[in-house]
Amino acid sequence: MSQISRRQAVALLGAMGFGAAAAACAGPGGSTKPGGATGPAAPSTGAVTGRVSFAHWRGEDKAVFDELIKRFAAQHNGVEVAQDISTSNDYNAQALQKLRGGSIGDAFATFRGAQFKNFTEAGIYTELKDSKAVGNYQKGLLSAGRNGDSQLGLPYQVVFPMPMANVDLFDKAGAEIAPKNWDAFLGMCEKLASAGVIPISWPGGDVGNGGQLFNCMIANNAPVDDMCAQIEQGKLKCTDDWFIKMLNQYKDLKPFVQPNATGTAVEPAQNLFSQGKAAMLATGSYHIAAVRGLGAKFPIDLVFPNTTSDGNGKYEGAYNATFILGVNSASKNQAAAAAWIDFLSEPENAGYYANQTAQHVSVDKVEYTNPDLKRLSPWLQKKTALAARFQFQNLDVRNAVEASATAVISGTSPEQAAAAAQKIVDERL
Amino acid sequence: MSIHPGTAAKGKAPESQTSANAPKVRRRSPTRVNPALYLFPLPAVAVVAFFLVMPTLQAFQYAITDWNGFSAAFNYVGLDNFIRAFTKDSLFTNALTNNLKFVLLVVIAQTAFSLVLALLLTRNSRGSILLRALFFFPTILSSVSVAFIWKFIYDPNFGLANSVLRTVGVDGGAYLGNDAQALYWVAVTQVWFHSGQMMVVYIAGLQAIPRELYEAAEMDGANKWQQFKSITWPFVAPATSIVVAYTTVQSFKAFDLILGIAGNPPKAALDILSTRIYSTFANSEFGYAAAQSIIFMAMIALVTWLQRRLLRLTPKGE
Amino acid sequence: MLASLSRRAILAIYAVIIIVPLTVVAFGSFKSTQELFAGPFSLPHSLSADNFAEVVGGQNLGSSFMNSAIVTGISVPLTLFLASLAGYAVSRLKGFMAWAIFGFLVLGMAIPAQANMVPLYVLFGRLGLLDNLAGLVVANVVSTLPIAVFILGGFMRTLPKELYEASSIDGSGPWKTYFSIALPLSAPSIAAAAIFLFVIHWNELLYPLLFIQSPGNRTLPLALLSFQGEFQTNYPLLFAGVILASLPVVIAYVFLQRYFVAGITAGASKG
Repeated sequence: MSQISRRQAVALLGAMGFGAAAAACAGPGGSTKPGGATGPAAPSTGAVTGRVSFAHWRGEDKAVFDELIKRFAAQHNGVEVAQDISTSNDYNAQALQKLRGGSIGDAFATFRGAQFKNFTEAGIYTELKDSKAVGNYQKGLLSAGRNGDSQLGLPYQVVFPMPMANVDLFDKAGAEIAPKNWDAFLGMCEKLASAGVIPISWPGGDVGNGGQLFNCMIANNAPVDDMCAQIEQGKLKCTDDWFIKMLNQYKDLKPFVQPNATGTAVEPAQNLFSQGKAAMLATGSYHIAAVRGLGAKFPIDLVFPNTTSDGNGKYEGAYNATFILGVNSASKNQAAAAAWIDFLSEPENAGYYANQTAQHVSVDKVEYTNPDLKRLSPWLQKKTALAARFQFQNLDVRNAVEASATAVISGTSPEQAAAAAQKIVDERL
Repeated sequence: MSIHPGTAAKGKAPESQTSANAPKVRRRSPTRVNPALYLFPLPAVAVVAFFLVMPTLQAFQYAITDWNGFSAAFNYVGLDNFIRAFTKDSLFTNALTNNLKFVLLVVIAQTAFSLVLALLLTRNSRGSILLRALFFFPTILSSVSVAFIWKFIYDPNFGLANSVLRTVGVDGGAYLGNDAQALYWVAVTQVWFHSGQMMVVYIAGLQAIPRELYEAAEMDGANKWQQFKSITWPFVAPATSIVVAYTTVQSFKAFDLILGIAGNPPKAALDILSTRIYSTFANSEFGYAAAQSIIFMAMIALVTWLQRRLLRLTPKGE
Repeated sequence: MLASLSRRAILAIYAVIIIVPLTVVAFGSFKSTQELFAGPFSLPHSLSADNFAEVVGGQNLGSSFMNSAIVTGISVPLTLFLASLAGYAVSRLKGFMAWAIFGFLVLGMAIPAQANMVPLYVLFGRLGLLDNLAGLVVANVVSTLPIAVFILGGFMRTLPKELYEASSIDGSGPWKTYFSIALPLSAPSIAAAAIFLFVIHWNELLYPLLFIQSPGNRTLPLALLSFQGEFQTNYPLLFAGVILASLPVVIAYVFLQRYFVAGITAGASKG
């Protein structure tokens, strides 16, 4: 018996000591990056060689980037760029943790808004205001990557999160493709409906894409430009009159979206559009390539759901500057990463990217040869609102606010939907 | 380090043995335990202690802080996280209610289905064996695979369900897009996924019942229902408690299935505790996430305990 | 009469419910999206392997497959080894210690992965186990050790003690007894546990989701999940991925079916 109790005692002591060591091992408290404290520095200089990890989320652009990488490597001896691609949801949720260590993402892209802010606070960015690249961009399109005086990132892509329109169907139905106010927009939908097509194909079952319509609906309804940030801070509420007015306009749209819209995923929504069953696809210009890939041969333009009653809205459209390029301050190969960013920012290379992926870029002096891009380039000059939903920092808040619109399309009353969303916002203030 | 018991035998001394020509065998009495045996479980115990038990205990420490997962600074906030979860976080309470609804539905449906299937396939005929193999099949697929299959089935525009229903002129609705129903449809998927697995457990139990009992009952004139009540059920009751317990824990977790079918993060109508914890973690609220995970553990323990009480109360017993 | 008819009906309906989705998936993997949407039930026009090629080449499912194979190939034997050692010890020890060790190890079954995932993440970070396959192996072993010990320990306890006594009279130490007697006799239980663990480890999603950051280190379920990006829900592609990812388990199932079943009954029964 005494042997067993001796063994037990040894085991107990071991467990206690072990426990103490363990607590030291995995207790809370970590190390913040020192970079965050003193402010971002310019990327270090050096030879452009070695391996650069380029982290982003656009799997659909992989082949195009591969070609650009080939051209970049031809210019610099010994340099190798590897793409580290995750899906956009994953990237949004996890990129910060991944890039912090510096093992991936020597050069990287971020979303506008919350992710950009998180990265800034964590000190991941380097200062790019004196870089070779920054001068190549259209001045007005750089704000998404700016923090105070520093230019931390370069927003590469310009997308228009506005419904795409099948011009042929519009012509056939005699519908007005640029409605001047809300009544005109609804009238246009009715004309399309009576021509036997679904006016709007809306992927309500997909949060990311279904929420793009929100950018358009809120742009002229809100009293200020940073309305989403203010909602998140509690200065504006979902239960305010202007928000409820917007929700009522969503309610107006209910008869014009396809049946079971709240359950429709992206591909089916795209298919309705590309097969000519729906006249509009309420996502954005970033889907042009996908829709063409599904067999759409008709000319495509963009429609802005003009929510004003008198046609005197501040904005005639919505855009988003995203895919913000940056150089990782934790990278061991900053010189090469910066050179890669510079390379991408040259008009010739940016143009190649734009035309191959059917997206506009914020780089200046780019020649658009892609017919779709050409047709849409007037939008680059119009007075478009910067997509507001990316002002949200907290994903739960964003989802709750956007869910109020989905709920209205499902049949909930605007007042109820607004109150439910505001409840979630209040809890997170 | 090993503490050897003395070789002085504590057990029975060998009987007829002269010390002179007895073989110098290290005689271990059958009741003596070789201390080297204690080394055997050591790696397992160490691994479990260090990577399983310790982090779980650690979760308690995290739960009383507001640590965000990467800063050096954090505060001890006592029970604030727990209070917040129950009173100031409708997303959490929503996930909790969803989880309980889901578990209740799945447990009832899956237990019933698997029992019925097992009753129909107890005999070892060729057909039964084949069908058993077929019904068991979904279990081996990964939950992401099952999620994708059913996501397609539920697609209101091009998916299987509505395609079939449309041929008889019915519109099944938005399924996952209908917030009031979405959770129930996912419950259907879960039952499809695992009924075959539980069926196997029931079959094992049912096959242990001796045929003579049924034959005797037949001769006594008992009908099928009476036979079920007095013969089958008592044998099946222990299997039922296992099936119920296992299904409860399994459906409480359901993390993979929800992520696959509803995306990451899932919308409020499909959010359950495990996905809520993950969202909180991904939102860099490590302390709060740890508190939620402790509540999660407590919930599972509570529900499991409640079930065992309830099942024991039924007169059939074990 | 009615009973047998309704029996057939129920079985037939359920069989249809199982077979139809699986067939649609199998057919769908050979179709393009438009073809699938045009008719989910139809036979594919051609057995075009485009989706499979895209999934392996373009989406790198091949490397994820390798990763899954490596991780599972190490974690299953490792778990079995540690569990059999523990199970053997527990079956031979007496009294309090045996009960305590067994109880401690098996208690882990009651702890859901989400309960300790946050501290585990931090711990792995500090130990350098994040974003690599070694970390996944550790996570797999740890999470399934309890049930493996439950199965193997439960079985080994039923082995008659006389066998051990015979060998200890021969003078063999516990190692030899373990290798030459306990292990061979436990073969059915080990086989059942092996298959059981194989399915769990191969299909594991939470740990890779938590720990793996680089796309190159993903295992199959994570790679599959990553297919559904924010901007694409390409069902045929997803289906091709599902089929490739499930192939090893399905093949094992076809040939080793009874071990699958044995594992479930062993794991679920009270031993």
